[in-house]
Amino acid sequence: MPARRRLALLAVVVLAAAGSFALGRFGAYLVHSVAIAAIAAMGLNLLTGFAGQISFASGALIGIGAYTAGNLGNAGWGLGAILAAGVAAAVASVVIGLPALRLRGLYYAIATLAAQFVLEYLFKIVEPLTKGISGMNIAPLVLLGRPVASDQAWAAISIAILALTWLGLARLMRTNVGRAFLVVRENELVAKGMGIDVVRVKLWAFLASGFVIGVSGALVGFTTRLASPEGFGLSLSIDQVAMLIVGGQGVWAGSLLGAGFVVLIPEAIQRLGEALHVANLLSAMREMSFGLLIVLFLLFEPRGLAALLRRLARGVSRIALPHPVPDSSPVVAARTPAPGGTREKAL
Amino acid sequence: MALQVTDLTISFGGVVAVNGMSLSIEPGEIVGLIGPNGAGKTTFINCVAGAYRPSRGTVQWKGTELRGLAPHSVIRQGVARTFQNVASLHDLTVLDIVKLGAAARGRRGLAAVADLWRGEAALEAELHETVLEPLGLADIAAQPVQTLSYGLRKAVDLARAMASRPELLLLDEPVAGLTVQEGQQMAAVIREVRDRRRCAVLMVEHKMDVVMSTCDRITVMAAGARIFEGTGPAVQADPEVRRVYLGEP
Ligand SMILES: Nc1ncnc2c1ncn2[C@@H]1O[C@H](COP(=O)(O)OP(=O)(O)O)[C@@H](O)[C@H]1O
Ligand SMILES: [Mg+2]
Repeated sequence: MPARRRLALLAVVVLAAAGSFALGRFGAYLVHSVAIAAIAAMGLNLLTGFAGQISFASGALIGIGAYTAGNLGNAGWGLGAILAAGVAAAVASVVIGLPALRLRGLYYAIATLAAQFVLEYLFKIVEPLTKGISGMNIAPLVLLGRPVASDQAWAAISIAILALTWLGLARLMRTNVGRAFLVVRENELVAKGMGIDVVRVKLWAFLASGFVIGVSGALVGFTTRLASPEGFGLSLSIDQVAMLIVGGQGVWAGSLLGAGFVVLIPEAIQRLGEALHVANLLSAMREMSFGLLIVLFLLFEPRGLAALLRRLARGVSRIALPHPVPDSSPVVAARTPAPGGTREKAL
Repeated sequence: MALQVTDLTISFGGVVAVNGMSLSIEPGEIVGLIGPNGAGKTTFINCVAGAYRPSRGTVQWKGTELRGLAPHSVIRQGVARTFQNVASLHDLTVLDIVKLGAAARGRRGLAAVADLWRGEAALEAELHETVLEPLGLADIAAQPVQTLSYGLRKAVDLARAMASRPELLLLDEPVAGLTVQEGQQMAAVIREVRDRRRCAVLMVEHKMDVVMSTCDRITVMAAGARIFEGTGPAVQADPEVRRVYLGEP
């Protein structure tokens, strides 16, 4: 990334983080809810959108992150607890991914579903680590000797970690392992023929994705201050998949858009329901409308809100400017020199 | 002898796709592999490259047995292949794909983590000079491959294979689907690779004019086995080859 763009990005992140302190409690709560969900969505996006491996176990991985951070945070680990949560979820993610080395498509998807249920069950019975059904209370994270308890502080921290995650994942995609993700996603046979060790590449995808989801889980634990089995159930996995599909697979901004959509829309519906005194009815419709949304996006815009917004922006710039700004979209890039012409020169 | 394949056999269900096939290639030699559709040429390449596991036979490459190695291990031994039908790989640029080719013989395991903070400028310059310029792909290095014509995508596939610094190239119909002009350029590139790098080439191809002008030796395959081997003129003169392959009575 050019230095100037890096600086601009840093400025935006610092401003956004600083701006969190100007928000009210509820506003800050919404900001960290979206940011934390977006971090996990980016982890799932790496695995599914970039490396082509679907997973319904991200709810449980968020849980592993939360329990790990909770135990270590309560033991006074501070920031180290967040990193350890990432490592624990990364290991679990690789274990869940092992069937992916043998199973394909639907069979593998079902294996991740099974992993989700097994982990949920473990959360209930491994009481020394999880406190079972009653759930584990998590003390505030201690940072620089002070407990972080306000929603505003968490909004700022979450924005910073979201930015770090984004940068790190974008960097990963510019290494050979990252490029190999894309080839494995497109065609495993071609990947093998190109000399890509498909097994190793998939394991990297599970590892990196699990780490990021675990970090998100740690933040979930520290902000909700409670980890309990029903918080990390299948519906959380489905929410994550919804973010992925609604936001857009294979685009980082899509994860943020998807997280915003999936976190904020129910909040808005809740408010509307309360205002109209039909709260119960609307909250019952939540799951159904998410399901419907997933189907609609799959049918009409498989690349999600990110693609929708990009098209919209292009339309606006076309109206606003007599000549559209040049971009690197396929439409423009397709105007390549004639194949013969280019190669001729060199020979 | 660089490559020595002996008695290679593989079947799918009841179909014996390759049946006791033998073939050898000297260093720096270009060998043409021709034969009717379904003769087993692609399957033969897949067996040598490690994509398929033959049920019988040996694949000796510079004293190493390749049979049983995974495709990524075969590439590490200096044997790279191209595809008969190039796939459209979304979101990857020409340069990305060529870098993956180079990475096929690069660092592995935890050492790959170092890629996260290593710059790629030196590698890019080297790939430009050794692969992209010679193949005429330098100007389109930053373009997504899915936007390229079929002919250019085939050139990118060859560039990717060359970036792994192979000593043996297995080319599956490199000219098929290209225009006449593109085909001639591709053939010239293949000869140049051999001349400059002393790289041996096994080339499956249907276009006889390209095969005649490019290959030092030709092996004819039918129904999974070798039916003739010799120079271009000898192949064209052989009545059995004319009957099986060129469709004469
Ligand atoms: N993966 C496979 N599964 C089943 N049959 C196959 C497979 N690969 C090749 N074959 C069969 O092997 C035979 C040889 O095919 P192929 O090697 O593609 O021929 P060629 O490249 O000479 O046209 C064909 O009958 C084909 O159907
Ligand atoms: Mg073939």
